[in-house]
Amino acid sequence: MAFKQEVNMTNKFRCPQQEHQISRRRWLGTTVGTTVASWGLGGLIQPSVAESLRRDHKQVLFIWIDGGMSQLESWDPKPNTEFGGPFRSIPTSLPGVYISELLPQTAQIMHKLAVVRSLCTQDNSHSAGVGRIQRGDPKDRGVTYPYFGSAVANLLGPGESALPAYVWVKPGSGGFKHQDAGFLGPQYGALAFGDGQAPSNLSRPEAFDALDDQARNRLREAANRRYAQNRRRKVTDANTYVFDTAQTLMERSDLFDQSTFTRQELQRYGEHDLGRHMLVGRRMLEAGVRFVKVNSYGWDTHGDNFNGHASLMPRFDQAFSAIVRDLSERGMLENVLVIAMSEFGRTPRINGHIGRDHWPEAWSLAMAGCGLQSGVVAGATNPLGTWVKSEEYDIGHMFHTWFHALGIDARHREYVINGQPLPIAHEDCHAIKELLI
Amino acid sequence: MKCLLVFVLRDKCRYLLAWFFLSLALSSAQLLLPAAFSQGPIAVRIDELIHQRADGTLSPLASDEAFLRRIYLDLVGRIPTLAETREFLTRRSPQRRAQVVDALLASDEYPLRMAQLFDVMLNERRGEHVEWRGFLRQAFKENRPWDRITREILNPDVTQNISRGAAFFYTGRLKRYGQVPADVPGLVRDIGRMFLGVDVQCAQCHDHLFIDDYAQVDYQGLLAFVGNTYIRTDHPFPAVAEKQLTEKVQFASVFDGEQKKTGPRLPGGVEFDVPKFEPGEEFLVPPDKKKKTLGVRKFSTLRILAAELPRSDNRGFARNIVNRLWWVMMGRGLVDPLDLHHPDNPPSHPELLETLTDAMIAHQFDIKWFLRELALSGTYQRSSQLPGGFSDGQILLPQSYRVALERPLSAEQLLQSTLTATGVEQSWSIDPTGAKAGQDQSTIAAKEEQQQEWIKLFQAAFANPPKEPEIEIAPSVRAALFLMNDTTFLGWFESRPGNLVHRLAALDGDRLVAEELYLTVLTRRPSTDEILEVHTYLAADPAERTKRLGYLAWALVTSTEFCVNH
Amino acid sequence: MSEDHQRLLAKYEPKEIAVITAQPQVASAHFSPCGRYLCAGGYDRRVRRWDMTTDRPRELASLGGHDGWVEAIAFHGETLYSADTWGKLAAWKYTAAAPSPVWTVAQAHEGWIRQLAVSSDGQYLASCGRDQKIQIFRADNGEPVRQWFVGQDLFCVLFHPHTGQLVSGDLHGQVNIWELGSEDPVRTVDASVLFLQHRLQDVGGVRALAFDQAGKILTIGGTKPKNGGTVQGTPTLLVVDFESGELRNTLEIGGPADCFVHMVRHHDAGFLMAVTSGTPGNGRIVFQRPADAEPFYLNKNIPNCHSLSLHPDGNQIAVAATNRGSNGNGRPLNANGDYIGNYSPIHLLAFSDVAQSEQASRPTVSKSSTS
Repeated sequence: MAFKQEVNMTNKFRCPQQEHQISRRRWLGTTVGTTVASWGLGGLIQPSVAESLRRDHKQVLFIWIDGGMSQLESWDPKPNTEFGGPFRSIPTSLPGVYISELLPQTAQIMHKLAVVRSLCTQDNSHSAGVGRIQRGDPKDRGVTYPYFGSAVANLLGPGESALPAYVWVKPGSGGFKHQDAGFLGPQYGALAFGDGQAPSNLSRPEAFDALDDQARNRLREAANRRYAQNRRRKVTDANTYVFDTAQTLMERSDLFDQSTFTRQELQRYGEHDLGRHMLVGRRMLEAGVRFVKVNSYGWDTHGDNFNGHASLMPRFDQAFSAIVRDLSERGMLENVLVIAMSEFGRTPRINGHIGRDHWPEAWSLAMAGCGLQSGVVAGATNPLGTWVKSEEYDIGHMFHTWFHALGIDARHREYVINGQPLPIAHEDCHAIKELLI
Repeated sequence: MKCLLVFVLRDKCRYLLAWFFLSLALSSAQLLLPAAFSQGPIAVRIDELIHQRADGTLSPLASDEAFLRRIYLDLVGRIPTLAETREFLTRRSPQRRAQVVDALLASDEYPLRMAQLFDVMLNERRGEHVEWRGFLRQAFKENRPWDRITREILNPDVTQNISRGAAFFYTGRLKRYGQVPADVPGLVRDIGRMFLGVDVQCAQCHDHLFIDDYAQVDYQGLLAFVGNTYIRTDHPFPAVAEKQLTEKVQFASVFDGEQKKTGPRLPGGVEFDVPKFEPGEEFLVPPDKKKKTLGVRKFSTLRILAAELPRSDNRGFARNIVNRLWWVMMGRGLVDPLDLHHPDNPPSHPELLETLTDAMIAHQFDIKWFLRELALSGTYQRSSQLPGGFSDGQILLPQSYRVALERPLSAEQLLQSTLTATGVEQSWSIDPTGAKAGQDQSTIAAKEEQQQEWIKLFQAAFANPPKEPEIEIAPSVRAALFLMNDTTFLGWFESRPGNLVHRLAALDGDRLVAEELYLTVLTRRPSTDEILEVHTYLAADPAERTKRLGYLAWALVTSTEFCVNH
Repeated sequence: MSEDHQRLLAKYEPKEIAVITAQPQVASAHFSPCGRYLCAGGYDRRVRRWDMTTDRPRELASLGGHDGWVEAIAFHGETLYSADTWGKLAAWKYTAAAPSPVWTVAQAHEGWIRQLAVSSDGQYLASCGRDQKIQIFRADNGEPVRQWFVGQDLFCVLFHPHTGQLVSGDLHGQVNIWELGSEDPVRTVDASVLFLQHRLQDVGGVRALAFDQAGKILTIGGTKPKNGGTVQGTPTLLVVDFESGELRNTLEIGGPADCFVHMVRHHDAGFLMAVTSGTPGNGRIVFQRPADAEPFYLNKNIPNCHSLSLHPDGNQIAVAATNRGSNGNGRPLNANGDYIGNYSPIHLLAFSDVAQSEQASRPTVSKSSTS
């Protein structure tokens, strides 16, 4: 039996690691640059592309609240109802809009935000949910779609900064998370900075000057080019990417120096992981990184949900409101799309451990900035908060909306993988008009 | 300028002439290849079944050099030395590939490599223990059958010096770190993953949502075997004991809350009863406080687990090791991912997997025999270069095995290969079990300490974090920064007596330099272009020749070609 | 089991005599000092009352006017004090047929009031809250007497039965002892084993306090937390000599899935009565003497026990729990397709010797259910 036919017939090979065609050759010259200044990413962005980037450098700050923030204790409170929980709601800077009392700082910048209260997504498990949400839950075509960060890295490129396009500031360990990239190939994976720290071996030994460094790397790259002839490009591309990125980072070690944060900044953002990581995230955005993911863990409050949120939410409130204010004050919000979300919300009903379980049926997310209306709340749930009463928005709608906000036409733009065109967002969904400028 | 050109041309001609004769020799050798393999019946069958489903041209066999590099990396965990390569390339026997396979399987380095491979596969970087390493090395030195190794791991015996270190599989997972509790769910999950190829993790709290075949009772049944296991602290080596299992494991789905119970039970297998004993009646041999023995229980779930899981009639057990060893040698499991054997994820070559499983059972789980069969197949020996007519980007599914898959090198393979290439240290020279006789103890100790430091350095740069399987090639910025900036590593490219750069500096003529360099580092001769590159680069600044030799060597060691097994 | 334990068990083994069902859930259920009422503060803004003198508990008009949840309830004489999570405090004559508040303080705290306590002479009412304050009110009219800003979320307050000192317990596991006349705590007991900083979350805290009758022993309840998120930890009681602050016993009264001690009481016969709640389905009623390694009574059959109240006659307890199957990530729907919430079974249990004699005199007692 022919191999390919079987794949098509049964579709049982899940996510085949197919060879990919798209490579960073669009962004990188195939020969190596000559000046030290352009050394970074090989430095060879084509002039016409560079120009359009300069004109319109759109960026993303993706705040990932891992485990599931409760919509009822945040963006969609239902005080004094059966499932409303103990907390009050408070008025915001947006007349008539109330959010949980656990978000007092954010309430003051509500007029800068765009909130969706009518998310209804597919998956109620973390293992599948995190991936499905961040990949936009496309139709199953037997390929692994990229995470949003990898998608943006691919569709918009790294920009001029020569820094990696997709950076992830997270608690715990760092590393290169190539799995995020799916079929786009490992070079679109996330470069994760564990605890926002610089990776080790960031500085070049004193014995090497820049010219030495350049010379030896040229030899290495020439060897790699020879090896890649007649072989699948995947491995060599990925290897090239990590070396290029490493070289750029070596030139920007200042990005990791947390000692230069001021006392006042730390107090405003919060002297905890999320506060510090958000500050690192701000610095990455200022340095021009295309996509910055800032991650908070520990939100899966199946037990003690209300004390949990009483402790978690104020820290989120502080860091989130601080960065939105800062981006706004620095004039960056216009070009930075800010998204704060989890893989799902939490159940209305309160379990015996005074917890809330996973709830993809009716939940919320918050956004701000680039391409979005400010001071808008889209969609609504019923009075008990159990179901969406307006049009239900799946993650595919959000992907359409985000791509639109970033100036990417999700209706016409496609990935082309092995000659197969693949839509960049779920074709049954559409952008949410009321959120867009 | 003119002078240089003449030199290059003359050099090129001489080289081309040599190449012409060599190619002739090679192609005539290739004509003989079917015989050159001395393939066993299984190797022949592998090729038949792979060809049957290939649906297109296959890459030709890899060159002798590429084969040699590959088989050294796979069986002894390093590249061949210059001397070994040169010697092999002089051989004309049609049996030469089989000869080298047999020699490597019989070598002292084979058990060291296997111990390293199985340590990373089974324990996924959960830490190291000298007893565990000793257990694995001894097991592979004796070529213990896989079912026996599995039994020794699943029911470790403190009284058996040659296998007691196996308990580290348990203790590494049951150990508490500060506020991190014993990882019992991880242990249950890993018994399923490592020995049966099934990942029952998601079935911990409810039946698996996507895999109909994995039921909650599969997780809970495995839990019943090992849930009462605890770490013994009365021995200096890893050791576990179990509390008496007195009742079935109770569980309820988080979805419907229905209460269920199970005794010890292998996934998809029969449930074992949990017998009741009157107090004091539980023991065949009662515990003895004076002798510090815990006695022998009439009912021991670990004993049952060790007796029932690694059985030749347990198809899942046999399939798992076949699939994992196939992955080791071929770069992708016939079932992929390795730990998701279930009906909705069938093998790419079902008949092949069954054939290999039958053969493995018939050969009593003889790992050495099995690796030899794989190594002698044309499928293993295929080139990693794309078959004719293919260009990058065309669909060529990896599970077709039409071209050899590039595979990651572990941190340890990379270290040993780098040491071999740079000539800093005889690789694998340290064997704490005393395999290398003739070295005095203090030298051995000092060298071992040195190696341990280097291993840690390489693990920090190249290994995955604990609990993350090392399956695929995953280049990282961390590794790139290490290769560019780590001072210990860079020191190996400075000229020191006996090392590669020192040797190169003593050679007369850039062609010789290029040949020595390429044959040492990449286990192949340089192309004309490569010789030219070496010459051009060295000639540009004769005053810096030694430094430049170092950079040339560095560039090859840090190249993709060196850092993967292709 | 030792003879000692058998003797205690013979006398104090609680046997279920009835279950009251409250929907939606209640935070706790308490017998009134007169023993005639059972009062429960709930997730639906009210305090519910049942008449316990009738054959089957009969629900009476509830006390309304609160917001959010009513977690804090305290009694003195014929007065019931209740407080909610929006900061309101109210006093009621709970025996009235249709009670209205005797007095209220609309903003006693900024938000969630966690617990109330009445001094033994009935003069003062203490409250604590998420606003990190302890407040003292006159019990008869609700006038503020004083307040302390502690600087930490406070879960518990309790008056000493004899000295008038007040004990508070906070999120970070600090137990403070206060004199009404002093600015600062007069003593502090370290219960920080009941606290864990995990990622962004402050986990655990002092969740229960109790004195023995003599006021010599203070028992502090909570969990030794393992992690935040879905909080897990071992329910733990710290038995402390009140005068010296010395830790006498640490009792771990469950496994990690049992998690929190929600309430603990000293029985006059010298043992502790505690209830725990953890991963849905897990919960325990534990009777254990402080110096014993094991409880003499352990009930694991009632899931998620949130409160325990001893009837003033000393013969009966009420345990508020949560229904089985209370959790899950799916959509629980009833036959009409409506989303279903959870409820609180309030278990009434009588001690062995009483249950037996009641059994003899009143053989028709059956489980009753009202909602």
